[in-house]
Amino acid sequence: MKLNIDGDACTGHGLCYSLAPQFFEDDEQGYGHVIGDGVVPNNQLAEARTAVANCPEKAISFVDDLNLSLALNEETTS
Amino acid sequence: MTTADAIPQIDTDALPMGDSRDQAWRATQVAPLIAIADGYAVTTRRGAEEVLKHPDPFSSAKAFEFLQSPVPLVPIAYDPPTQTRYRQILQPFFSPRVIKPLEAELRRQIIALIDPIARRGHCDFVSEVAQVFPIQAFLTFFGLPLEMRDQFWEWKKAVIGLASAGFGAEGDAAQEGITKALEMYTYFTELIPQRRSERGADILSQILAQQPPNDLTDPEAVGLCFLFTLAGLDTVTDTLSCGMQRLAECPDKRQEIIDDPALIPAAVEELVRLDPPAPFIPRVTTTDAQIESVRLPPETRVSTYLGAVNRDPAVFENPYDIDFHRPENPHISFGLGPHRCLGSHLARLELTIVYDEWHKRIPHYRIKPGTTPKVHWPHGTIELESLHLEFDKGEG
Repeated sequence: MKLNIDGDACTGHGLCYSLAPQFFEDDEQGYGHVIGDGVVPNNQLAEARTAVANCPEKAISFVDDLNLSLALNEETTS
Repeated sequence: MTTADAIPQIDTDALPMGDSRDQAWRATQVAPLIAIADGYAVTTRRGAEEVLKHPDPFSSAKAFEFLQSPVPLVPIAYDPPTQTRYRQILQPFFSPRVIKPLEAELRRQIIALIDPIARRGHCDFVSEVAQVFPIQAFLTFFGLPLEMRDQFWEWKKAVIGLASAGFGAEGDAAQEGITKALEMYTYFTELIPQRRSERGADILSQILAQQPPNDLTDPEAVGLCFLFTLAGLDTVTDTLSCGMQRLAECPDKRQEIIDDPALIPAAVEELVRLDPPAPFIPRVTTTDAQIESVRLPPETRVSTYLGAVNRDPAVFENPYDIDFHRPENPHISFGLGPHRCLGSHLARLELTIVYDEWHKRIPHYRIKPGTTPKVHWPHGTIELESLHLEFDKGEG
């Protein structure tokens, strides 16, 4: 499971790096960036989803990853 | 295609904003697009995205034209690409990296404001905290002496009064406003060259020290200072006063942040969602536009009603509840798209430390019996006239 920020959509609200600093960092303009390869361990999925859901610009997404879709599906169906 | 007659008409001035902001916003949620006195307003998240993310055709430059501002209101009254350049220049100075180091000093200042209030046992939160602290934060940010607080209070009142009437307004009140605005203008026009030659550690000095092509001209820098007083003071005052009123009226919600101060950032987001600092965002169309299948001709005013958008049931579960535990709170109180509030990081810091330091010292308080907090309405902003609070005197 991998996080991605659409740099064109991000306007620097800064919620991602304040809510989930383990996955996101700011740059000097205040824009958010995914740290490293953006891979989210299974046990930290909730924090990552919080950051995705709270972005006012809907700039953050999970990039296609089979494991993630399965995990999300499981959660919504269970 | 919907015809214009089918769009519900709302008399914004007649909304019950004075007594119940929730009821007032609910009354605007009759359709995604409503007709208002001078144009239209969008009330849903989808409509807000359509308008705020598309500066063409929904222009800010046109929306602020009516002000006839004598100084360039950098960057709010511009559209991309000019606005994009201003943002690139200014954003680094309003970023969390720059704002965060102000925290210790701002905490010291808010404690100094709250301590005597805690000893006294009562206060008007609006005039004693919510109005003064944002001015102090501005002065601190720009490296100006705190003794200028009351002077700035007077100046910004005049400038805002003038701005709501339009800088071209006539009459005695307007004349008085113009005199005060000129004083502030003179102050900034003298301050800026001075800061260029004797650079301080403050943010204004750093902005002015930028090299081409990132340098601001003197008029642009004066415009930025003006904009800060227009956009950065009352906005925080208003959202803070309204948020504090909600906390005073909901002891159970208050108890949650007293029990767990780590909840304060989430509380800030929730209170800002319900009472946005600048709830009516103006735009004017440059060309033919379309919202919710309604065709809008050029020169149409389209407002975004953030208080309604932030209560859009398609986005928020139980949108009228105060809930500090929302798993998702993608409110747009600081805007959306290229004009996302430049000062949002400073505003969030101010709000967080006020709620934090206040509740450490005055956890239990109530609205003074016999007084009713009221919003001054109709008005261009949502401003609480006063908020009289009572509490047991602390040791301080």
